[in-house]
Amino acid sequence: MRWNVLRSSPKTTIERAIGAIALVLAALGPLVFNQYWAHQILIETFLFGIAAASLIFLSAYGGMVSLAQTALFGIAGVILGNLATRGGPGGTSKGLHLGWDPTVALVVAIAMTTAIGLMFGAIAARSIGIYFLMITLTYSVITTYFLGQVTLVSGFSGIGGINRYTPSWIGDLTGHPNRLYYVSLVAAVFTYVLIRYVVRTPFGITLQGVRDEPVRMSSLGYNVPLHRTLAFGFAAFLASLSGVLYVWWSGQIAPGNVDLPETISLLVIAVIGGLARIEGAWLGAFAFIIIQNYVRGFTFPFLGFGGTLFGGSFNTVIGIIFLLIVLISPDGLMGIWDRALAARSRVGRAGPSAEAPARTGG
Amino acid sequence: MRRSGLRSWHAAALAAVGIAVGVALIGGISTSSAASQAKTVRVAIMTDCKGAFGFGYEPDIGGAEAALARYAHGKAKNKKKPSAGMTGITAGGANIKIVGYGCGNDTVPLAVTETKRLMEQAKADVMIGPLSGDEAVSVANYAKSHPKKTFIIGTAGSQDPTLQIAPKNVFRYHGDGAQWNAGTGEIAYRKLHWRKAAIIMDDYSFGWTSAAGLIADYCAMGGKITKRVFPPLNTTDYAPYIRQLPPPNSVDGYFWVVGGTGTGASLKAYEQAYGKTNPKKFVGNLFFAFLGNFSEVAPRLVGAYVGGFGTSPGLKTKAARAYEGNVAKIFPGLNGGNYADGFVYNYYNAAWALVQGLNKSHGALGANLQSSLPRTLRPGYQVSGHGVLHLDKNRQAIQDQWPLQIVRKGGKPALTVVGFVPNVTQSFGGLFKKSSPPPGRTQPPCRKLKTPWQGKIRVVKNGVVTKGVIK
Repeated sequence: MRWNVLRSSPKTTIERAIGAIALVLAALGPLVFNQYWAHQILIETFLFGIAAASLIFLSAYGGMVSLAQTALFGIAGVILGNLATRGGPGGTSKGLHLGWDPTVALVVAIAMTTAIGLMFGAIAARSIGIYFLMITLTYSVITTYFLGQVTLVSGFSGIGGINRYTPSWIGDLTGHPNRLYYVSLVAAVFTYVLIRYVVRTPFGITLQGVRDEPVRMSSLGYNVPLHRTLAFGFAAFLASLSGVLYVWWSGQIAPGNVDLPETISLLVIAVIGGLARIEGAWLGAFAFIIIQNYVRGFTFPFLGFGGTLFGGSFNTVIGIIFLLIVLISPDGLMGIWDRALAARSRVGRAGPSAEAPARTGG
Repeated sequence: MRRSGLRSWHAAALAAVGIAVGVALIGGISTSSAASQAKTVRVAIMTDCKGAFGFGYEPDIGGAEAALARYAHGKAKNKKKPSAGMTGITAGGANIKIVGYGCGNDTVPLAVTETKRLMEQAKADVMIGPLSGDEAVSVANYAKSHPKKTFIIGTAGSQDPTLQIAPKNVFRYHGDGAQWNAGTGEIAYRKLHWRKAAIIMDDYSFGWTSAAGLIADYCAMGGKITKRVFPPLNTTDYAPYIRQLPPPNSVDGYFWVVGGTGTGASLKAYEQAYGKTNPKKFVGNLFFAFLGNFSEVAPRLVGAYVGGFGTSPGLKTKAARAYEGNVAKIFPGLNGGNYADGFVYNYYNAAWALVQGLNKSHGALGANLQSSLPRTLRPGYQVSGHGVLHLDKNRQAIQDQWPLQIVRKGGKPALTVVGFVPNVTQSFGGLFKKSSPPPGRTQPPCRKLKTPWQGKIRVVKNGVVTKGVIK
């Protein structure tokens, strides 16, 4: 069994080669791509990919489709904004602006978000399917309204200028956006490797057992809610990385970043990429951001519903793509890739491995 | 096995080539990035096309483009749709190219996304905009990190962009929300004899800033604010917030700072709680008069006083007529023919200032343009200083203000200017400073003080500033 995992199939070889090429291309990003692509499209891809990966991890390995990941992403950003920014002349005027050391603020933001994720997870862990979805949607809505109403920490305006307060070991990100590019790239690679590692640990294997047969795992003596809670906490940790990167990139965080449309957008990214494989997170993010950037300027006949006045054709196009993906390939773009390779090689290999989950959904 | 491995590598190589070609086709490879064309100034106009102020899209763009047509030879592609674009714009020996129109929705995240798209994807050198308060705060924060780009705020009224944040590359040729309300609190004190009042304000930057002007002006006279209530933006059910207000028999009146679709909804909730609205107990900010609410508000509140928008509808001066004529010539009927709306007027002045700056800098950008942008302007509704508006050291306008009243004319509710408050500064006579907390739920506190215009607000009758003073 172990030998099967280690031995490379042709598909694995191709994927590893593509992965390596993508990594080399990404490492050379600021040299290869123009400024807008490197500092906007790709940084966004990396950071939203991390948030989507946290969602896909829960879905693919825990059987839990969470709508709380955007909220956790925002919570991390808001905590960092409150702790790291400074008030007074030239500083920020919103939030607590406590002016902590940015490194301490960063660690506290990630730790607090993970703790909140554990708390969210503990409450939701005993529910499954649509009920789990609804509870996590509630988290998202509560977070949006909390941030909007509690002006002490955010308010509708949110907090701005956060990207001016970065740890000294990272340096000035606004003047040197390439640093943020590489920080985001390293965080994305770290997230991917970490998830791949975690799903192979005894905890990860047990989580997949909980996903497939919760009753049987419970009767075998495993604590199912605890495993789900820990998985939720782990996903919250990943979402917090994404949130921190986002506020460094955008400089701001506001309730509008975690509202229902943004929550749905993250789910759309994960579905387009594929809810069954972690790689889909970045593929979905890339596709979504490309469509967002390049389709919004166009108004297709019969699709625009008022053209620019209502955001061009973007929402319609992304909606149609979402529908097509759901109908044609529920496993998203990664599913299409898997089937294309399977058809080409005519090799019928059945059965999930530890790294390729058998099914998704709750 | 070896052959299979080789085939895999061939496939991988093909896939890599495919990805590279795809990326290149989309335009991401750096070699395809366009070299900047000589003497072309890339301008973006940022406004809202969605959300509470989405209706401001064409009026804002129309205002800016009317100035570009009048002062920089621009030709509108469609006289009924400013967003169709404009050609032939030149100033200071440079061609001005409008590279994009920003489509915000009054929220920070979209303002950031749109600003990045316009400034970095469309490579704009100058932005005219945004429309609303929170958006301007986010744009000012963005501007601080991009000192070579120049930002002229469109019509946003939050205080922070030019006082607390105040980057050197941000300019505002109109007042902020507090400035627009100068004189209105004093009118409530003198004309309506209010001594105890409550205030309801939208819970975001513009709501706070606008309320700050009313509070500061009213409290300066000795009035007291007994309660402040803050409904979130986009609230649909205002009943809980109306119930937080003191009942009408315990206060002399209410300052009403609720905008967008909330203006009508909040007044209806008041009527359900306390019966018919008494105009003598209501003073509103510009939301009572502009931004699409007038037809809903006015029939309920004929006689109520309203804070202004830095504009003077019906002002009978040469400059006012010239401005209105300029807009009407380029975009006849823009904004329903209401050119005295700040949406049109403020974008017009922003674009006009840009043209003057480019003429002076001979098309140079960055620091050259920023030092060349005018520190004075002659906008249509400026009267004091022989019609010259000045910027302060933070590049913020010191502007005349015009309190309004809802009246009945020819059997229909109409708007009339009742007061003239000359040269209102952003500091509000020293109350607001760079080091002071920005307007918020509890800022500013209610304090008696001496504003420069106290006791000097001139009466305006039939569009003419008289020598009389409001008593």
